[in-house]
Amino acid sequence: MKILLMGHPNVGKSVFFNRLTGANVIESNYSGTTVDYTCGCMSLDGKEVEVVDVPGTFSLDPKDKAEEVAVAMLEEAKDTKDAYVICVVDSSKLERGLYLAMQIIEEGYSVIIALNMDDVAEDKNIEIDNQKLEQILGVPVVSTIAIENIGISNVISRLKDAKPVDVEDIAVRGAGAA
Amino acid sequence: MKLSPDERWNLIDSIADQVVTYGKYRHTLKDAIGELTVKPMTGIPIAIAVLYGFWSVFGSFAGTLCTDGFFVKLFDGYWLPWLQVVFPGEGSWLYSILIDAGGMTNGEFILSDNCFEAFGVLTSGLFVAIGVVLPAIVIFYLMLTLLEDIGYMPRLAVLIDTVLHRIGLHGYAIVPTILSLGCNVPAVTATRILETRKQRFIMMTLLAIFIPCGAQLGIMEEVIPDLIGYVLLYLVIGYFIFGFILNKIVPGRSPEILIDVPPYQKPMMANVRRKLWMRVSSFFKVAVPFVLLGCVVVNVLYLAGFIQWLGDILAPVFVGWFGVPKETAGPLVAAFLRKDLAVAQLSVIEMTQYQMLSAVVLVSIYFPCVATFAMMLKEGWKELIGSVAVLAVVVFLYGGIIHLIGKLIGVA
Amino acid sequence: MAEKNNFAMICIAILGLVTVAFGLADILVSAVGDGTGLSILEIPGDMFRGGWGGFIVLFAGLFYLSGCKNVAEVHNASKVAMGSVLIWIMAGTDIFAMITESIPGGEDGPWFNSLSGFLGTYAPPYAPAIFLLPFSLVVVYYILKQERTK
Repeated sequence: MKILLMGHPNVGKSVFFNRLTGANVIESNYSGTTVDYTCGCMSLDGKEVEVVDVPGTFSLDPKDKAEEVAVAMLEEAKDTKDAYVICVVDSSKLERGLYLAMQIIEEGYSVIIALNMDDVAEDKNIEIDNQKLEQILGVPVVSTIAIENIGISNVISRLKDAKPVDVEDIAVRGAGAA
Repeated sequence: MKLSPDERWNLIDSIADQVVTYGKYRHTLKDAIGELTVKPMTGIPIAIAVLYGFWSVFGSFAGTLCTDGFFVKLFDGYWLPWLQVVFPGEGSWLYSILIDAGGMTNGEFILSDNCFEAFGVLTSGLFVAIGVVLPAIVIFYLMLTLLEDIGYMPRLAVLIDTVLHRIGLHGYAIVPTILSLGCNVPAVTATRILETRKQRFIMMTLLAIFIPCGAQLGIMEEVIPDLIGYVLLYLVIGYFIFGFILNKIVPGRSPEILIDVPPYQKPMMANVRRKLWMRVSSFFKVAVPFVLLGCVVVNVLYLAGFIQWLGDILAPVFVGWFGVPKETAGPLVAAFLRKDLAVAQLSVIEMTQYQMLSAVVLVSIYFPCVATFAMMLKEGWKELIGSVAVLAVVVFLYGGIIHLIGKLIGVA
Repeated sequence: MAEKNNFAMICIAILGLVTVAFGLADILVSAVGDGTGLSILEIPGDMFRGGWGGFIVLFAGLFYLSGCKNVAEVHNASKVAMGSVLIWIMAGTDIFAMITESIPGGEDGPWFNSLSGFLGTYAPPYAPAIFLLPFSLVVVYYILKQERTK
């Protein structure tokens, strides 16, 4: 089993990674430190699970080296049975994050969405209806504040609910209530 | 099935409409402060204040408290006399290499009375590594890590972006530049955040030549506290002048990058601790062996008469062109192994203040230490050769210019 | 409410003026080259603390002044807060320098300082920023309170 952590640069992916594995990766505010990808191990129900911290990327249409690496790593994971993608989304920039998440879903991966940095979203007075979002997308959606270790275990416990979703269904559900 | 980008955005917009409720958007104090630090009018004074604080804490902690307060006393008062008593064979070559090499003047063997002048592996080598460099590196990386985790560094990058465009880089080049003030080795690795080979080459060359590392800064703070401001001034000016020239002559592009600036936040202590530990320990794995090895090699070269020989050959250049005494040849050779050690050696050579200033600037811009050299080789041998060529030109030109300026203002 | 704002404005404006004056004094004194003192106030005369430091204190004052009008507005509040941060940097580094000076026992002395020597380091005179420190703390407290009640 393998878990890929994906998301935009600077959404707190590396902190997330540290929370899961406690490995020695450097987490910084500037993009770039994670260009060399880092991977570590986590134990889940007594099994060893590989966790990969994929370089931050804005979309699956690579624009620079780090993004190329990210896309290549995602491709690689296709061959692995039981590959999950945790897509870390900045709650205060939901649309941009969903764009990436949607692309990954379209590729047929089992995705979990972690809405990260909730405190900032709150500062800006943004509220996101998790359940509604989960219902529309058909993938688990969990709120987290990685830097304070809030919601991380929720993400892991919801892993089992992640499954590939047909984007057509999302389109129907997404358009339906609008 | 896959969507086209437009379909995808439309779908996302419609989803977002359903799940996101925006309260009345309120500019928070945090947002407003964030803006202040990025706008040039207010951001530049703030940046100056941050650098002031950085430097002041660095000097107080590393210089006043650790080195002057305790380590000088420990090494000069206890460690050196103890070694001089217990170690046999005063005057032998082994003794010279390990304990005290600088005493053989006027045909009589005189023991050094402090660790700056002894130049043995176990005396100067250890003193420089532990007494001077260790505290400097710890406090430097601690503050850098704090600034990063608070979120100030990306803002500094945005602020300085326009200036760095002039030298073919962009704001994020401030990251390797500042890292380099700690140690050039991780800074060379950090140049990878720049996109094109041209940018990486300019950055690597500039930081290898013009940015003094934490070890050097620590030593300078200790040996020539009055001159350090001028040394830095010369280096900063050189950084921009040669960056500007390199940008003009190096082929390639310098694209702009989009930077996302994260909000200010409270740093997490566990994260700071881990990062600090990684940086300090990896620095020491590289630094300590080179300081000690550097001592050995330099002492052997001295004993073999190689340094005097080189000094004689290069004397016309040193005296005539750079305007420094020919004894500085030794430290310049040593600078290849460890620059910090070289500054310590310079400090005991008789010369005028301006000569000292020129010599320290020369040592700083002169070759990067072996460890940096190795890192640059890893990044590509073509770049390395290019950098070395630039370096040779820079040392020659800049050394001459500094001498000339000294002459013009009448101090050289 | 308007009255309260007026009061805050006057306080911050006065603080700003005093800070600007201190900053200018720092710069002028260090330009002349000699540090001077007025009983418990010490104006540093060196290039680093006096010159650069004075520049920073001056800007702290300007931040206060430009933000004092209508502090209830968040952009002005942030300027005032930033002015205080600059003061903290100045005062903080001065205090830190005192601490590092007070601990070791001096070149020929024992390892650690004697108690009287330790305390002696903290005796006045102090640099201007240290006098401004308490006021800047009050100002920031006021702004944070205002931010929270909104």
